Amino acid sequence: MLLAFLGSLILWARDATGEPAVTWLALGTGTGGLQIELGLKLDPLSRLMLLVVTGVGSAIHIYSWGYLHADRNRGRYFAGLSLFTFAMLGIVLANNFLMLFIFWELVGVSSYLLIGFWFARPAAAEAAKKAFLTNRLGDFGFLLGIILVWAALGTLSFTELEARLADDPAALGAAASVAGLLIFCGAMGKSAQFPLHVWLPDAMEGPTPVSALIHAATMVAAGVYMLCRVFFVLAVPGSVALELIAWIGGVTALLAALLAVQQNDIKRILAYSTLSQLGYMVLAVGVSGASRDPSVAMYHLTTHAGFKALLFLGAGSVIHALHHEQDIWKMGGLSRRLPITFWTFLLATLALCGVPPLSGFYSKDAIIARTLESGHHGLFALATLVAALTTFYMFRLVFVAFTGPAKSQAADHARESPPVMTLPLLALAVPSVLAGFWGIHRVYGAQYGAEPAAAGSWAQQLVEPFAHAPLAAGAGLAAALMGWLGAWAWYRAALQDPLPARFATVARWLRDRLYFDELYERLIGWTQESLARLADGVDRWVIMGVAVKGTHGTFELLGRLLRLAQTGNLQTYAFVLVAGVALLLFLVMAR
Amino acid sequence: MQSLSFIILCPLLAAGLIALVPRNYQVVFRSLALLSTLLSLLGAIRIFAGFDTGSAALQFEEQVAWVDSLGISYHVAVDGINVGLILMGAVVAFAAVCVSREITARQKEYYLLLLLMAGGILGAFASYDLFFFYFFHELALVPTFILIGVWGRGEQRNYATFKITLYLSLGALVALVGLIALYLEAGHQTFNLWSLARQLEADPIDPARQRYLFPLLLFGFGILVSLWPFHTWAPLGYAAAPTAVAMLHAGVLKKFGLYGLIRVAVPLLPAGVQSWAEVLAWLCLGNILYCSLVAMRQKDLNLLLGNSSVAHVGFAFLGIASLTLLGLTGAVVVMVAHGFLAALTFALSGYVRQQTGTVNLDHMGGLLERLPFIGGVLVMAFLAGCGLPGFANFPGEALVLFGAWQGYPGVAILAAWGALILAAVYMLRAVRVLLHGPLPERWGKVADAPHLWHKLPYGLLLAALLLFGCWPRLLTDKIQPCVADIVRRAEAPPANSAAGLARIALPPAAAPALARPGATDGLTASRHPR
Repeated sequence: MLLAFLGSLILWARDATGEPAVTWLALGTGTGGLQIELGLKLDPLSRLMLLVVTGVGSAIHIYSWGYLHADRNRGRYFAGLSLFTFAMLGIVLANNFLMLFIFWELVGVSSYLLIGFWFARPAAAEAAKKAFLTNRLGDFGFLLGIILVWAALGTLSFTELEARLADDPAALGAAASVAGLLIFCGAMGKSAQFPLHVWLPDAMEGPTPVSALIHAATMVAAGVYMLCRVFFVLAVPGSVALELIAWIGGVTALLAALLAVQQNDIKRILAYSTLSQLGYMVLAVGVSGASRDPSVAMYHLTTHAGFKALLFLGAGSVIHALHHEQDIWKMGGLSRRLPITFWTFLLATLALCGVPPLSGFYSKDAIIARTLESGHHGLFALATLVAALTTFYMFRLVFVAFTGPAKSQAADHARESPPVMTLPLLALAVPSVLAGFWGIHRVYGAQYGAEPAAAGSWAQQLVEPFAHAPLAAGAGLAAALMGWLGAWAWYRAALQDPLPARFATVARWLRDRLYFDELYERLIGWTQESLARLADGVDRWVIMGVAVKGTHGTFELLGRLLRLAQTGNLQTYAFVLVAGVALLLFLVMAR
Repeated sequence: MQSLSFIILCPLLAAGLIALVPRNYQVVFRSLALLSTLLSLLGAIRIFAGFDTGSAALQFEEQVAWVDSLGISYHVAVDGINVGLILMGAVVAFAAVCVSREITARQKEYYLLLLLMAGGILGAFASYDLFFFYFFHELALVPTFILIGVWGRGEQRNYATFKITLYLSLGALVALVGLIALYLEAGHQTFNLWSLARQLEADPIDPARQRYLFPLLLFGFGILVSLWPFHTWAPLGYAAAPTAVAMLHAGVLKKFGLYGLIRVAVPLLPAGVQSWAEVLAWLCLGNILYCSLVAMRQKDLNLLLGNSSVAHVGFAFLGIASLTLLGLTGAVVVMVAHGFLAALTFALSGYVRQQTGTVNLDHMGGLLERLPFIGGVLVMAFLAGCGLPGFANFPGEALVLFGAWQGYPGVAILAAWGALILAAVYMLRAVRVLLHGPLPERWGKVADAPHLWHKLPYGLLLAALLLFGCWPRLLTDKIQPCVADIVRRAEAPPANSAAGLARIALPPAAAPALARPGATDGLTASRHPR
């Protein structure tokens, strides 16, 4: 893993680009043919993404060593993690749609295997199944979208597709919107966008480093990465795909932020926060249609990968110290007992909330500014509201878990984790703080043909958002402040949650996740299950019962009737013989 | 050793030897069976490796005349379509003998019949003579019935034997009628497929007759491959069959019907295919969707696997119905992939049954804890079954979907739903109830495959799935030229034969009218001096 990280650093330093490929499948030629390469596409987009995956991945691999040091199935765990890393790098580097789909499925399966790592726990086994099936639902649309693009344009290679669409933007014709949305279905499953968001919170049943790597930093972001990779298909003129994508992203961001407010499990709060941030990124892709440059989404993806992984690892460190206690109302006062965990966690929280000069501020501000620039005022309001909610639920978590009195025995006796776990925390804190100054969005911008603006000095970078779009920056900051004030007022020294007492119904609805799971269960129960029951019934009773047994019965009846003639009685035979002869004679004679 | 006859004769000769060995030399039977199938496998690997990729010609050809007056000869050869199937058959046969350890009663008869079955299967796939093609299939089919009847398991054994015998005999009979009718209609006094194909290309059978000949072959072969709604024999039969027989039949022998369609029906009766392709496309949805739904409701692991196997075969049918290069190539890949997969899943379920004494999913759970190797392979097999990339099923199913999109987008969408969603639902459900969850106390004594030798058959089948999954060109590059030939024929005839027919059918008076556009042509002018 570290080697892969080093390799990515070298590629990065050398500014390498290229597209080595071998042919994986080649059938026919022309429009009816299918040429699939096993190719790696290295460009600014994939180069930086490589760094994200291998960098965060390295930190998490090291951390896992400490987290799972007592588990005897460590071999299986690291095998799964390596499979995941392989597949994820495959997604990042894929140079055509089918290759992307192949690795897409492979990250899905490695996620399935890792969520179900503790397979003896029914909840983990169910969560794994649910995650895979929900992802499959998205992949179904994705595959159809791929076939549609292939049928219209006759190739699946990104380079060729881009060239073809540049030549003739109307090449996809009426199918453009449909194809775009079908492809987005894939991202909807993997990046857990509404209405396929239900699997991600359950996926927290997996080991915490897995949640950090797969379900926070990299895999769930693959959907956003894919949207940016195939942006040229989504952004063809006349397609309404992007508009819909923007709104789905916005709805997801809001919904998840609301749900996060009433969760009590530390990992679930973070999971909903991940959902909400993914919603931001998808929103950012959606509103980038006019500027033809979704690099703000990738910017937020990159910074988010750093601080969200840090948050999860911090949560893992807490859980580890508290012997697998995940309820924040049984924590408290951890800031004194787990100082390194606390300070890094706080730093990441501030970054997530968008407090300058931490990384999250710059990337989130870029998105909010983009909604304004593109004239989506509704989405601007929505994004600002979500920013307020984000600060609220994150500081609720921090206040309840880390400050105040210890609310349980375990919290009172907690000890800081070993260095193998705290060092990755410190390492990840660096990008969480500094990533805003590195000009990441300019790197991604190069992918979409933006001319590289001259990098300003530190001071200029620091205040760039205020200079660039003061309204967005101000709104974001004000929202964050309001959220913080709310959390401070209610949760500073709370021993139990004050909200359920005040807004009983709303709180219950939020805690029960607006009943999405129940709704889906019913829906599936009514459709798929009853169809299956019907098919089984038809198979059992109609085809096997009536048709087959009926044929069988008819022949059997015939057989029985004929058996009556075969009595074995010589006299009967002789009688029938004579009667037959008489009949024949009569017929002949009567003529 | 690089000879097809060697591959076919190894198991058959071993079967003959076993018949001569006295009953109390138990150890000899198994060793002979292992040795002969291993030799066969090595031969098949050599042929696969020595195959000249990219050529549509027959390779490794051997021909001995048998009944000249009827045009019957022993003619074996491989091209891109059957070379993969023969390799698959040989691998499965060897693995099936390996897992036959569980059989303790009447070993002599068991191995004799099993080897006959293996030899018959390999012969059927290698034969280029319609007579031997059918003969070898029957040679494999009849032992199947006896093996299920005598060594089968479960309460429904007798009913299942009865059912499978009737169904498959009926299917074989209908196909036989179709084949004989084809022979008579062609009127070239030859059973040789290669020469039949050449002659029928030049002088096709009357399209109207093709239209009634084709369904005979379609439904005859279709019953053999459990085409919906003639599928109910399959899950029951496989649930009752001994492990090795389920592997050989579901994996290999069943593919004979599909192979027959691709090898005989589609190239020789192009007009027939075209009028029946749509029917086939919709029927195969019955396989894919309907049987997946049925599989979702099964409580018995073997019934689930049986139904899933029927569902997977639907993709091969869809590929054939699409009549495109991609679809047909995909169909052949699916045949090979499904052969490995079906054999692997039945082998594993046989192991689970041997250890726990049941395959009722209600009584299972948490077995992964006790069976890290078998359980791990089972998870991979299930994932392969839901079309995960990396396993050979994925390229096959993907190609079929791409191919089917051109002709039948609606069917392709529903088939993709079956492949991606329904298959995942029942496969993951099986993993969940069988392997995941807490381990019930009574399975505390269940033991994993102890050493390498016991793991070999499962490892071999899994490795094959992975090999062709990661490197599908091993198959597709071989298949492509042959399939291109078939597709060309299936596409060409309407123009060709219609014109040809018009020429023959039109009364002489009308002929000049037809020829008038080319009247300046000297030849036409001299033939009709007017």
